[in-house]
Amino acid sequence: MTSDDLQKSSSLPYPYSVKQHGVTITNCDEEPVQTPGCIQPHGVLLALRATDLVITQASQSCLQWIGAEPLSLLGQPVSLVLGQDIAHRLRETVDREPLERNPFYIGTASLLSMSLADVTAHTRDGIVLVEVEPTERQRSDVDYYQLVKRAVARLAAAPTLDAFCQAGAEEVRRATGLDRVMIYKFHPDHSGEVVAEARRSDLHSWLRLRYPAEDIPRPAREIFKRIGVRPLPDAAAEPSEMVPLVNPDTGRPLDMTYCALRGASVMYTEYLQNMGVAASLTMPILREGGLWGLIACHHYTPTRLPFEVRAAGEFLGQVMSLQLKNAEERSDLEYRSRLDVVHHDLLSRAARESRLAALLQPSPSLLDGIEASGVALLHRDRWWTAGAVPDEAQLEDLSRWLVTLPELGDPARPVFASEALASQFPPAAAYAAVASGVLAISLGVGRRSLLLWFRPEQVQTFTWGGNPHEKPRVLGPHGLRLTPRKSFDLWQEQVRGRSVPWKPVETEAALRLRLSILDLVVSRAEGLAVLNAELARSNEELDAFAYIASHDLKEPLRGIHKYAHYLLEEAEAGAALSQLAKERLDGLIRLTLRMDSLLDALLHFSRMGRLDPGYERVPLKTVLDEAVDMLGRRLDENAVEVRVPRPLPVVECDPIRTREILANLIANAAKYNDKPDRWVEIGFFDPDEEAPAFYAPQAAPDGARGVTVFYVRDNGIGIDVRHYDQVFKMFKRLHSRDAFGGGTGAGLAITKKLVEQHDGRIWIDSKPGEGSTFFFTLTGGDSGIAESSVR
Amino acid sequence: MNDLLQRSRRPILVVEDSDEDFDTILEARRRGGIENRIVRAASAEAARRLLPATPEGEAFAFVILDQNLPGINGCDFLREIRQEPRYRGLPVVLFTTSINPRDCAACYEAGANAYHVKSVRFDECLRTLQEMFDYWLDSAVLPELQSGDVRKMNLP
Repeated sequence: MTSDDLQKSSSLPYPYSVKQHGVTITNCDEEPVQTPGCIQPHGVLLALRATDLVITQASQSCLQWIGAEPLSLLGQPVSLVLGQDIAHRLRETVDREPLERNPFYIGTASLLSMSLADVTAHTRDGIVLVEVEPTERQRSDVDYYQLVKRAVARLAAAPTLDAFCQAGAEEVRRATGLDRVMIYKFHPDHSGEVVAEARRSDLHSWLRLRYPAEDIPRPAREIFKRIGVRPLPDAAAEPSEMVPLVNPDTGRPLDMTYCALRGASVMYTEYLQNMGVAASLTMPILREGGLWGLIACHHYTPTRLPFEVRAAGEFLGQVMSLQLKNAEERSDLEYRSRLDVVHHDLLSRAARESRLAALLQPSPSLLDGIEASGVALLHRDRWWTAGAVPDEAQLEDLSRWLVTLPELGDPARPVFASEALASQFPPAAAYAAVASGVLAISLGVGRRSLLLWFRPEQVQTFTWGGNPHEKPRVLGPHGLRLTPRKSFDLWQEQVRGRSVPWKPVETEAALRLRLSILDLVVSRAEGLAVLNAELARSNEELDAFAYIASHDLKEPLRGIHKYAHYLLEEAEAGAALSQLAKERLDGLIRLTLRMDSLLDALLHFSRMGRLDPGYERVPLKTVLDEAVDMLGRRLDENAVEVRVPRPLPVVECDPIRTREILANLIANAAKYNDKPDRWVEIGFFDPDEEAPAFYAPQAAPDGARGVTVFYVRDNGIGIDVRHYDQVFKMFKRLHSRDAFGGGTGAGLAITKKLVEQHDGRIWIDSKPGEGSTFFFTLTGGDSGIAESSVR
Repeated sequence: MNDLLQRSRRPILVVEDSDEDFDTILEARRRGGIENRIVRAASAEAARRLLPATPEGEAFAFVILDQNLPGINGCDFLREIRQEPRYRGLPVVLFTTSINPRDCAACYEAGANAYHVKSVRFDECLRTLQEMFDYWLDSAVLPELQSGDVRKMNLP
């Protein structure tokens, strides 16, 4: 809809004049602000025909500033008012410069009244609009170049959006010298907020004041998308009407959108006057073509706003517009990294304490992250809260509703943000004061596992006490409505039940936090799974112990009992100690010794699991020598040759445990050997070496790849592949107890446990009748893993 | 005594690695006046070789099987022989120290005819064995043998 259409369809008179008609509260949204029919009286507006620069419309202020009736000027050449020089320059400028909607400084003219005036001109739809503003002879000595340069540097360096706005306000005030400069930001609902302010020290702050959308109605917002600056040097001045109101060439009211002198809405001037403001200068801040906000300057006495001041203001407005996006991004980035740091610290603590509830403990808590006044966590059917939150029954109720939302069911982005919770979930009206806004993420690990941030109703966050605007000084014809007090009331009505909206950077941070929490929960679950596996294994071991106690230990006991029984029977028969009885006594002794060694092995096996390995870097050769020394006589008896084909490496391991591993494997190799020339070989393969296939090797188990593999190989009796697992079981023997020198069957079970304590693996490659190779790894220290990652 | 209730004279196979426990079984046989020969296998592998028949060509009346054996354990051995149709009817009685219910259940599942626990008390062991002999050699009716020669040999 064009402004013309708008006006024709409105209830307002046509052609419209601010001076004659004015608007009211109810129709101010229809006000034809582009064609007000009037200008501000501190200058003169002339409409010229573009072809011959003949005056077709003139403002009534001509009388005051030029000393001529506007009517008398109609049909006259503009040179009559501006003089030949300026008129000539105007002609050239109109012909050469892009003046369409673009006011251009033509020069300073000497008017008929002998006063000096700045002349600017722009074109619009075939009409040349010439604005003449009386000026002073001397130029101000403000160095605008320095001012602007400094302002641009400050704006570019501002780390946050708030700092950017503050710098903008201060620099505009420095450049204009006006009493109060505010950065007024439009919210998505077009309500406004003062986000930064620079003011004369004796004035009260208006920072964070909020205004309803009506205070800057749609037509005014529209016009600010097109112009760079809007001066109003004297709000109280009587508007000066155009003569005639309708342009004779176009047949339409004059479009003054780009005129600095454009007459102001009575609503605006009255509002300013009710606040005691006498003059204003306003520049738009645009973001991607939309109106983001305004630089609103107020002055408490009527003032002059000369061309260079307006130009500086306009320029700063443009700089802010251009840099706003960067500033927002910097601000988001700053906020984002601050949130991530806080969240990371909190998660670390939660991980340390192994409980999510740690997120809600004070200093720091989640309240130090995303701006919120309350946080609640629902995890495993329990609530934890911090700050101001609804009561638990209300939380329960709310959570049941939340989990039904499709937003929270989204597997990738289960986030829900509302700034007007009660409008979506009416029961929330009961606790709108603390929770008008909610940001919720589903932790997705339970039926109802949620993390909620709450924001209060916006009106709760403002105190309006002691403001000088409580009592308007002078009230205009529209009464109290056009006062900040009433604006605030209206704004309060509009934001009832609404919180400050959640920013995208906040929902993203919440989602990132969610992923980290899930990682934590998952890693905890994994930790539990590992613990469970360990428990299962230790339960199995316990079972095995019970089994061992019931079997292996009872077996000799049974024999003892039997021999004792026999002896008793013989004693009862009164016979002398027979040869058989002596043999039975020998049996008794033998069985008690066997039981003793079983108990020793059992004790050793059960104690072994208690202590963590103590890692050291030791030459494996040293460990091997000790193991061979330890075995000593047993190796000599078996006449076994110990071979080491190449120098052994330095290994990170628990030397005592490793010595026992080697001793057990070597003892085994020596024992289960029926060859005349017995040997046992100790060697290793580096991670990058291909382990040779001695027989039909099992593939190295998971966790044994990419690390150094050690082996103990013999030319003994070998092991059938079906017994590869069995041999590692406690007290499991493959041979009858007296074959191969006997034994408890604990050696390999203990060896496997020692290897596993190094986070290593042990496996077998063997061929019955030819020999066996036991492979093992020791990855618990740095040795295996670290070396493999270096390679 | 009719034919069916005639005490079997066939030998008994004892799979037992413990000399002491084997001696107890022999003692129970002696004290019970059992005439059946006892053939010992010290491991499941040895039992596997002996099972088809004794060196004299006799089939076994029943098998006393220990659970915890070197190499293959009793339960696995039992499951293995039950795969073969000709040993499905052979009574196998577990005689073991294990009171582990998992062992007991596994053995019955593998096809055990009975599961007896070895007591530490010698006299109780003897009594258990005596009952075992009485039951499997006297009370229970054993399946007829496939080999006619052997059956005839056992008839009066």
